[in-house]
Amino acid sequence: MQQSNRLWRKGVVAVIAGAVVLTLGACASSSNDAGATASASSKAPLVIGASISLTGDFADSGKAVKRGYDLWAAEVNAKGGVLGRKVTMKLVDDASSPTQVVSNYQNLINRDKVDLVFGPFSSLLTVPASQVAKRYSYAFLEPAGGGPKVFAQKLDNLFFVQPAPVVKSGDVFADWILSLPADKRPKTAAYTELDDPFAQPIAENIRTRFEAAGIKTVYQQVYPAETQDFSAIMAKVVAANPDVLVGGTQNEDAYAQVKTLVQLKFSPKFMFLSNGANSPLEFPTKVGPQNTAGIMSAGDWFPGSTAAGSAGFEAAYIKANGGTADTIDNSSAEAFATGQLIEAVAAKTGKIDNATIITSLHQGEWPTVLGNLSWGADGAPSGSFNLIQWQNGKLVPVFPAATAKATPVYPKPNWGG
Amino acid sequence: MHALIQGVILGILTGGVYALMASGQTLIFGIMKVVNLAQGAMVIMAAYLSYQLFTTFGMDPFLAIPITTLLMFGLGVGVELLFLRPLRREDKSELSLLVTFAIALLIEGVLSVTWGTTYRSINTTYANSSWTLWGYQITVVRFWAFVLSLVALGLLFWLLNRTRFGRAVRATVQNPESARLLGVEAQWVSALGFGLGAATAAAAGSIYGLLYPFTPGSHYDLISRLLSIVVLGGLGSVGGAVIAAVIVSTSSAIVAATISPAWSEMTFFVILILVLLIRPQGLFGSVNRGAI
Repeated sequence: MQQSNRLWRKGVVAVIAGAVVLTLGACASSSNDAGATASASSKAPLVIGASISLTGDFADSGKAVKRGYDLWAAEVNAKGGVLGRKVTMKLVDDASSPTQVVSNYQNLINRDKVDLVFGPFSSLLTVPASQVAKRYSYAFLEPAGGGPKVFAQKLDNLFFVQPAPVVKSGDVFADWILSLPADKRPKTAAYTELDDPFAQPIAENIRTRFEAAGIKTVYQQVYPAETQDFSAIMAKVVAANPDVLVGGTQNEDAYAQVKTLVQLKFSPKFMFLSNGANSPLEFPTKVGPQNTAGIMSAGDWFPGSTAAGSAGFEAAYIKANGGTADTIDNSSAEAFATGQLIEAVAAKTGKIDNATIITSLHQGEWPTVLGNLSWGADGAPSGSFNLIQWQNGKLVPVFPAATAKATPVYPKPNWGG
Repeated sequence: MHALIQGVILGILTGGVYALMASGQTLIFGIMKVVNLAQGAMVIMAAYLSYQLFTTFGMDPFLAIPITTLLMFGLGVGVELLFLRPLRREDKSELSLLVTFAIALLIEGVLSVTWGTTYRSINTTYANSSWTLWGYQITVVRFWAFVLSLVALGLLFWLLNRTRFGRAVRATVQNPESARLLGVEAQWVSALGFGLGAATAAAAGSIYGLLYPFTPGSHYDLISRLLSIVVLGGLGSVGGAVIAAVIVSTSSAIVAATISPAWSEMTFFVILILVLLIRPQGLFGSVNRGAI
């Protein structure tokens, strides 16, 4: 009893201490809105802060984002900076943790007094981070948080720097299929969907459109993230014999689906995988280059794109990081585009403060390496992805016609084995 | 029906690989009364070793098995000498849970630092090949994985039943006190037995890497499956582990084909709970300290 009493007292002290800290924090923040306006003289460096996952689960993608940010900063500085101000990127590691990301943005804004902030990697980290940015009225341009929860916050300072929200990335496949003459369209469809907010809804959106157009669903299966063995699922796909297979996939499950279909010797006439198949390097190494032909996916940036600054980005990336254009991760291109938007706002308005960025980006279309971008009030982009297809061992955009570099190949060629 | 039979064929073939992993686990328990929570991590470690041998030297994972097995055998003996031997006899079983879990985390950390946290897979030229038999597909990798698991299990049985070392192991399992009185060096049997358990993990790991992509964190999934197989078979019974592995992986394939793949992962644990309720000693475990 004595002990529990003491514990209780300790608890009360802790709660009071916590409350005091929070109140002080709130006071500090209300007096700190000055961060939203550029306080430094016009030739002081433009300091942009961002939290990046350099360790933990998102480390690989986080590093790709970092390469994009750093490359943009180097490129813009080579041209004399933004409105004459040299850009300095202040990037801190969040270890892929949604709590660390909050402290990081609070430190960047309050302690380091950065001029602008860019987003972290993943929707998981973008949601809490964008709340911090909102509290201090910072514009929050983020290249990698496109899940429904990000837009459900209805933040007017948030801009997702990709052509469309993630769940709509597959709509372009439905657009293309439904643009085919009726006798060329598939009659039956199977859907294999990973139980994940970034995978399943993509396939479900396509299914809704297909069913409305009279394409019959012959098999639909949601599988959990732990699924390792796809033999049973794919055996059922084979038994259902669909014309088109739509996979709401991430990466490993996409590779496994393809490999299992090759083993089961079944090649559907059309095959779309929401993710995994859009990875130019990983996909052919994981499934074998001879098995990629005809598989479709969705993407925003691609090598050889004619979008604004894309050729320059491609060349600069290869110069800085080595490799070939095919090895460039889309996350790097999206991060680069985030910087391009800052440049574009500065060029158009002659100002570079958070309020100007927020009001400007809500109007009109903005050219980037991903194409022209525009946003709704909740920060969801209003464009669409490109339909990309594997042809002769390369990923090429095939639809819509405006950005296409080749015509779609169908029916899908058989597996190479 | 076709999908069901196809699923069962692949389930049985996969069962062989699980049998190999679980036999090492149950062997370690039989000899030392240690529940080795690091067995899954050792499997994954061996998968990484084969991956490295494959990417650097182009060595086929099946051919890499002797190398990984020897390396992991050495590691297993080392782990026993360094971490498990110092534990006091009376609370060894309880403390070993913590120690082996710590070893699992240590291995996971080392693998993450060395190879990163993205998925790796071993893509041999025959990774996607399959034979057609009466309209059913038998994948080449799984077939050979099954055959090799049987060979490795056969070797293990031979070692336990036909060699002096095997006799010493069985004697230690049945009655460590008497075994020691008769001149069996129980300490060495423990070290070598743990090494042997690690060696089976190594052989299974090379094969696992061929079948599935893996990350350093893959061992959590594995260990929970292995524990349910070992408990189903009866703790300490190698034969029981083999049969349990085939039962579990076949029934999970049947559930995936007939009900839903979402439930197939659950099958392991449903079977485990049923066994614990109906026959707590497992299918082949005896109530007394028994033979392997």
